[in-house]
Amino acid sequence: MMTTMPVDNTIEDPRHRSPLVLGHENFGTVTEEICWVNESPKPPKAWYVSLVISALAASMLLLMIGYLILTGVGVWGNNNPVMWGFPIVNFVFWVGIGHAGTLISAILFLFRQKWRTSINRFAEAMTIFAVICAGMFPGIHIGRVWLAYWLFPIPNQMDMWPQFRSPLLWDVFAVGTYFTVSLIFWYIGMVPDLATLRDRANTKVKAIAYGIFALGWRGSMRHWHRYERAYLLLAALATPLVLSVHSVVSFDFAVSQLPGWHTTIFPPYFVAGAIFSGFAMVMTLAIPAREVWGLKNFITMRHLENMNKIILVTGSMVGYAYSTEFFIAWYSGELYEQFAFINRAFGQYAWAYWIMVSCNVLVPQVFWFKKARTSIWLMFIVSLLVNVGMWFERFVIVVTSLAQDFLPSSWGYFTPTWVDVCTFIGSFGLFMTLFLLFIRYLPVLAMSEIKGVMPAADPHAEHHEPVDTLGQEVQE
Amino acid sequence: MPSMKHEDSGRSYWRSLEELADTPEFKTFMHREFPAGASELMEEDRRSFLKIMGASMALAGVGLAGCRRWPEQMVLPYAERPEGSAPGMADAYATIMELGGVATGTLATSYNGRPTKLEGNPDHPGSLGATTRYTQASILDLYDPDRSREPRIAREEKRTKATWDEWSSFSVDHFDALRSSGGAGFWILSEATRSPSIEAQQAELRSQFPKATWVAWEPLANTNEAEGLTEAFGIRVRPVHDLSKAELIVSFESDLLNIHPDVLNLSRDWAAGRRPDHGSMNRMLVVESSMSVTGSKADDRWAMASSRIPALVAQVASLILNDASLLPMPSSPAYAGTIADQLKAAAGKGAILAGPSQPAFVHRLVAMMNDALGNAGTTVSYIRENAESIRTASIKDLAAGMDAGGVETLLMLGGNPAYDAPADLQFAKGLSKVKVSIHLADQDNETSQLCTWHLNRSHPLECWGDARGWDGTYSVQQPLILPLFDGRSPVELLAQINASSSPAGFDLVRKSFNKVNGSGGLGESFDPAWRRTLHAGVLTGSTSATESLKTRGGGLENGARAAAAAFDGKGGGLELSFVAGSSVYDGRFANNGWLQELPDPITRLTWDNAVLIGPSTAKDLGVGTGDMVKVTAGGASVEAAVLVQTGTAPGTATLTLGYGRRFAGRICTGSGFDFYPLRRSDAMWFQEGASITPTGGSYQLGTVQDHFAIDSVGGKGTAARLPVLFREASIETYNHDPNFVRAGDHGAHGLSLWQAQQFDGAQYRWGMSIDLNACSGCSACVVACQAENNIPIVGKDQVLRGREMHWLRIDRYYRFQETSPGQYDTDQPLSVANQPLTCQHCENAPCEQVCPVAATVHSSDGLNVMVYNRCVGTRYCSNNCPYKVRRFNYFDYFRRDPMRETGLLQVQPDYYVKLQSGGDPLRRMQFNPEVTVRMRGVMEKCTFCTQRIEAAKIKTKNEWVKKPEAEKAAAKRIVIPDGTITPACAQACPNDVIVFGDLMDPDSRVSKLHANSRSYELLGELHVKPRNRYLARLTNSIQGELFPQDHSGGHGTSTDEHEESHG
Repeated sequence: MMTTMPVDNTIEDPRHRSPLVLGHENFGTVTEEICWVNESPKPPKAWYVSLVISALAASMLLLMIGYLILTGVGVWGNNNPVMWGFPIVNFVFWVGIGHAGTLISAILFLFRQKWRTSINRFAEAMTIFAVICAGMFPGIHIGRVWLAYWLFPIPNQMDMWPQFRSPLLWDVFAVGTYFTVSLIFWYIGMVPDLATLRDRANTKVKAIAYGIFALGWRGSMRHWHRYERAYLLLAALATPLVLSVHSVVSFDFAVSQLPGWHTTIFPPYFVAGAIFSGFAMVMTLAIPAREVWGLKNFITMRHLENMNKIILVTGSMVGYAYSTEFFIAWYSGELYEQFAFINRAFGQYAWAYWIMVSCNVLVPQVFWFKKARTSIWLMFIVSLLVNVGMWFERFVIVVTSLAQDFLPSSWGYFTPTWVDVCTFIGSFGLFMTLFLLFIRYLPVLAMSEIKGVMPAADPHAEHHEPVDTLGQEVQE
Repeated sequence: MPSMKHEDSGRSYWRSLEELADTPEFKTFMHREFPAGASELMEEDRRSFLKIMGASMALAGVGLAGCRRWPEQMVLPYAERPEGSAPGMADAYATIMELGGVATGTLATSYNGRPTKLEGNPDHPGSLGATTRYTQASILDLYDPDRSREPRIAREEKRTKATWDEWSSFSVDHFDALRSSGGAGFWILSEATRSPSIEAQQAELRSQFPKATWVAWEPLANTNEAEGLTEAFGIRVRPVHDLSKAELIVSFESDLLNIHPDVLNLSRDWAAGRRPDHGSMNRMLVVESSMSVTGSKADDRWAMASSRIPALVAQVASLILNDASLLPMPSSPAYAGTIADQLKAAAGKGAILAGPSQPAFVHRLVAMMNDALGNAGTTVSYIRENAESIRTASIKDLAAGMDAGGVETLLMLGGNPAYDAPADLQFAKGLSKVKVSIHLADQDNETSQLCTWHLNRSHPLECWGDARGWDGTYSVQQPLILPLFDGRSPVELLAQINASSSPAGFDLVRKSFNKVNGSGGLGESFDPAWRRTLHAGVLTGSTSATESLKTRGGGLENGARAAAAAFDGKGGGLELSFVAGSSVYDGRFANNGWLQELPDPITRLTWDNAVLIGPSTAKDLGVGTGDMVKVTAGGASVEAAVLVQTGTAPGTATLTLGYGRRFAGRICTGSGFDFYPLRRSDAMWFQEGASITPTGGSYQLGTVQDHFAIDSVGGKGTAARLPVLFREASIETYNHDPNFVRAGDHGAHGLSLWQAQQFDGAQYRWGMSIDLNACSGCSACVVACQAENNIPIVGKDQVLRGREMHWLRIDRYYRFQETSPGQYDTDQPLSVANQPLTCQHCENAPCEQVCPVAATVHSSDGLNVMVYNRCVGTRYCSNNCPYKVRRFNYFDYFRRDPMRETGLLQVQPDYYVKLQSGGDPLRRMQFNPEVTVRMRGVMEKCTFCTQRIEAAKIKTKNEWVKKPEAEKAAAKRIVIPDGTITPACAQACPNDVIVFGDLMDPDSRVSKLHANSRSYELLGELHVKPRNRYLARLTNSIQGELFPQDHSGGHGTSTDEHEESHG
C-alpha cells in the first residue's frame, strides 16, 4: 500500500477536473487496496465489535418477532385511534433510507456523475438491507401474520384476489418491484468485481463461492459490452422506481381521508424526504467505514461534500414541503385539516414535531458553509441528526394524524411499549449485521468503475493538463 | 331358569335370518359389533348374567334416585321435540329481574336450554320491551366464574367447603331449637324484595318464630321518600309517575333517567316529551350537587350542594303553597323564584321529583307542591305499599342488637352488609359476636367470609320466584336452566327453615300465585291463568290501584329551620355526596365485566370510581385528575384518586359507591375505591365538614374519552368542531327555522368523479336513525350490544391503551360558556352532549377502499360487512374510518382474564396459561351462537345485528314461498314489514332513540326519520354517505337559544343537492 499526502480535492477550479481517486496512479494498487478489505487475514477490531453488537440486536429482533407472533399485536403500543404505530413508522423510515442507493447508482449514473462510483456499491447494499428491514415491518405488523401471503396475488382455492383499490396492495407491488430491481442492479454491477475476488481467492471455498456468483466472467470485450448495456438498461429501469416506490408508499397516507394524511403534496415530498434520509444514512455508514478500512483515497472529501450538498438541497425541499402543508391547510379553510396542522406544531405531539423540524430543516443549513461541508465530525453529527429527524417525520405523519382526527371522543395518545423500542433497535441490528457482513465478504467499492474514472483510464490523457496541479505527486 | 348355554331354550325373536341360522358368520359379526363382553353374553352362566344386570340397574340411575332431602325439580331437555320448537332455534321465556325490590319484566333468550340474552318484556309495565344496563348484564352474572359453587362453613379457625346435606343436618336441629324458643335472638336481614312468595314465608316465619325480627337493607333505597310521603299522607305509599303528561319536570337531585327503580318508564316518558315534531317539548329543570345523567339532559341545571337544596325547595314551596312558615331563609338563590314561576305556569302539567339524598322534609314538600299544583293524579299518582307481615327493624337496630350480643342467629338473604352497611354501625365487628350467622349469596363475598355459613344462591334464571313491579304488577320468575352450582333461592331457603311441607320453589311460587290471583284453590280457572302468566310474564289485573290522597299540612317548621341552617353552611369544610355507581350500582355488579368496563355516562370512566371535584374546587385544593388524595370525614378517611368533573357544585366532592370490593373476584379486585367507610348512618347521602388533602401519589384512571383542557389545542379544536358534530338548537330556533341543522352543511357533495356504487338490484336498504334529543346516555344499548354480539371485555390495562371493544359507544362532549374570547367557564357546562356512535354503514365506505384483502365489503343491502375469516389485520380500515368505530382484537381477549397490572409487563397477557385451559368454559356458555367469536388479529365492528336481519329475511322468505304465485308476481320485492327487525341496541333502549329499518320502504319509520328536518349526517361532508343519521338535539332552556353563534351566518342551506345525493 502506498501512502499519500493529504490532497484537497474539494477546490472548485473550472480549469481542472478535481481527481476522484487520490493516491493511485495504477489499477493494480486500486485493486489491492479495495480487495484488502476482503482479503486481510484479520478484519479490524471495530468490525468484530460492531458485528457482535449488531448480531445481538438482530437476535433481539427475532425474539421480539417471536413474542409478537405468539402473543398478538397488542404487545405493541398501538391503540384504537393510532392503529399504526412504530411498525409503520419504521417501515416508511427504512424504505426512505433504501432510496439513496438506487438514486446514486441509477440516476447519477444516467447523469454521468462520475463521483458516484466510489459510493454506489455500498449505497446500493444499504438500499437492499434497508428494504429488507422495511419489508419486514408490514409483514409482522398485521394481526394474523400467518396469513400475510393473502396480500400477494396468488391464485388460490378461495378464488380471492387482493383488493386492488388498496394502497397497501400497491405497496406490496412497489416495494417488491423496487427490491427485485435494486437487487439485480446491485448484483449485475458486482459481477466484474466478484470475478476479481474469485481470481485472487486464496482458498478453495472463496474461489468456488465467488466463482459461482461471478457467473463465469472473463473480462472479454464481449462481456464488457453486454455488461455495460445491461447496466445501462437496468439503470433506466431503476430510475422511475426510485420515484415510484416512495410515491406509492406516500399513497398509503395520501389516498386515505385522514386530515394530515390526505395531502396531494405527499408523493414529491416523500421522495425528497427519502433521498434526504438515504443520503444521510450513506454518510452515517461511509464516514466510519472509510476511516476503519482506509478507503479515504476512494471516498474522498469531495464525495462527502457532494453528498452534503444533496442533503442541504433535499433538506430544504423537505422544509419547503412542511411549510406548504401549513399554507394549504390554512388556505383550504377546512376545519379538520387546519386543526391537524396546528395540533402537530402546538398540540400534544409538538415535541416530536419540533425535533423533526430542527433536525431536518434547521440542522442541514450549516452545509451552506464549506467549512461545515468538509468537517468530518460535523457532517457525521448532521447525518445522524437527519436520520433522527426523518424518523420523527414519519412518526409525526403517522401518529399525530391518527391520534387526533375527526371525532374528539376518539382521540388518543400513542405510547410505545418496550417491545416497540426493542423491535426498532433490532431492525438496526439486522441492518448493521447485513452491512458488516457485506463489507467483509463482498467488494465494498466498485473497483472496475473506479478505475474508469481515474486518469489512467483515459487513453487520451496527453490532451489534458497533468493532474498534478493540485500538488499531487506524479508517478510514472 | 335354564342355563344360558342351553341354546334351544326360549328364544322366540330373531334379529335377522342369519341369527336364526346361527351361522358362524353371524357369530363373528356379533363379536365385531359388541367386542367387549360379547363372548360373556353368548356363553356365560346365570351368575354373570345377574352381575351384568345388576350393574346396569345401578348405572341406569336406580341407585342414584332417593338421596336428596328435597324433591328435585328438573328442567329437562326435550326427549320428544314439541311442535313448534326446533333444536338450535332460540326460544324466549318471560321472567323478571328484581333490583332493589322492584321487578322488571324480561324475556330470556334460550338456545337449547342455555340462556344467552335478556330482553325487555313488552307486556310488562315496568319494561315495555326495554331493559336497563343491569338487566342486560345480569345474564353474565349467571356465568360468572367467581360465583359461589358450594356452601361454606366456618369451623374453628378455618373456613371449609361444605355440602347442602351438611347444611340440612345442621339447620334442622338448629332451627328446631330456635322454634322451641320462639325465635328469640333470630334476626333476618334481607335485600329489599316485593315477592309475594317471600312475604308468605315471612308470615309463616312469624307464626313459627314470633320473636324473630326482619331487617330490610338496601344501601341505595330511597327511604327518605317513603318517610316523607308517610308524613305527607299518613300512610305508606309510593309515587308512580307518568311523565309523558308532564310539560315541566323539576328534579331536586333525582337521577330519574339513570338510577331510579322505575327508570325505564321515567326515561321513556321523558323522551316521549322530547319529540318536537308535535310542536312543543317538555322542559326539565334540575338542581343537583354533581353532574348526573339527568342533570346532563336538563334544559336548565343548577349545581348546588345537596345540603343546601332543602332550603331551596322550601323557598320554592313557600311560593307555591303560600306558606310563610317555610321562609326563615337568610338568603336564597334567585332561581327559586324562577322554578316556582315555571311550576305555577305548568300547573297540572308539571312533575316534581326528589332524589334519595334529599331528606324526608323535601319529599313531603314535593308531595305537597304536586298536590297544590294539581299535578297529583296526572303526572304523579300514589299506590299503597304492602303492610309489613313481620316485626321489622332497621339495620341500625340490628347493629345495636349484634353489639349487645342479642343476635344469636342472623340469617342474611343476599345483600352484602359487611361491605355496604354504614361505617359507624361497624357491622363486621358486630357480626363476629353473632353465634350463628348464615349468608345466602351468589358470591363468597365480604359478608360471607365473616359468617358461620355461606350458602350459595341460585341466579334468578335458575330458580322459581315472583315479585311485583314498581306499580305493583305481579310477575313470575321462571327458571331457564337447572342451577349450575346447585344453589338455592331465598324463598326456598326460608321454606326450608320454616320446615315447609313442599320447599320446592315451584310449589311455593305456585301457591303464592294462587293467592295473588285470588282463585284460592286449584279451581278450574287456575291452570290457564298460571300458564298465561308464565307466557306473558305478567298477571293481568294485578297492578296496584292508585289512591287519591290529599297531603296533610302543618308541622313543617322544624324541617324549614333545619334546611335554613344547612343552607348557611355551618358544617364547614367540603361536602361529600354519595351517589350510586352508574355501572356497578351499590357494588353488587362489581364483578360483572360488562358493567365494570361500561364507561360511566358522564365521567366516561371504566374499571374505577374516583373523587369527583369541580374544576374551581380542584384548583383551590391544588389537585388534578389522577392525583391521589386522602378524603377525611367523620373520623374516617379513604385514599382515592381525583377526577376533575365539570358540573360538580363548588365546595363539594362526589363519591361513587360500589367500587373497591374485597372478596377476590377476578373482575372487581383492585377496581376503584371503597367509599362506604365514609358513609355514616346519620349522613347516608351527604356529609359536611370533610377535608381532602393530596397525598402526592398518582393513579391511572381508565377514561375512554380523553380530557382535553379547554385551553389546550385539543380543547379549542373540540370546541370549534362541536357545533358541526353535535347539532343542537333551542326549540324556538327550530320552530323558526326547522332546517337549522343543514345550515352548516356544504353543498354539492353529490358530485363525484366516478359512477358511485348503485344498489339497483338490492332488495333492501338498511338504515338507522338516532335521536339525540331523546337519548339520555344511560348506556343500556352498549351492554345490550355487548351481550348480543359476543364482544369481549379487555381489562383496565387495555382500556388505558385505548383498546376497548365496544361496537357501540356513547360519546360525551361538553360545551362551555365563552366568557371572553378563548376563555371558558369550565365549572358548569352550558350543555352536555351524548352521541351514540355505531358503524355508520357508509355507502361510500372509506374502510372498504383501503382493505388490501377485501375483508370489509359492501352487501347489496347496503351493509358494510366485515368478513372475519378474510381479515388479516392491517388495521388500515380503522385508520381511514372517520368515526373510529372499528375495533381491533389486539389479543385473544376471550382467552385472557382482564388485567389491571401496569408497568413494564403491562402488555404481557396471561395468554400461555389460558391457552391451556382454553378460556373459561362457563363464560363461553353465554355466547350468542348466531355470532362468530372473533380471534386475535381481526378487526370487528357494528353489523347492524346482521344475524337478526338474516333471521328476519329467512322467516319472511319462507312465508313468501307459500304465497300465491299471482301475488308473488305482482310484488316488486319481498318486503319485510317495518319493525320486524330490531337491533340489540334499539331493543334495549327505553327512549326509542334508535330506529332501524328499510330505507327502500318510504313508509318505514326510519325513512320518515331520515326525511325529518332535524336529521343530519355526521361528517356527511366527507361524502361517505352514512346510512345512519342523527336527529339534532333541541334544548328548551328558560334562557332560550344557548348557541346563537351556531345559527347565525353559516354557509347557507344546500338541502336540495344534499338530499339528492342520497336519493
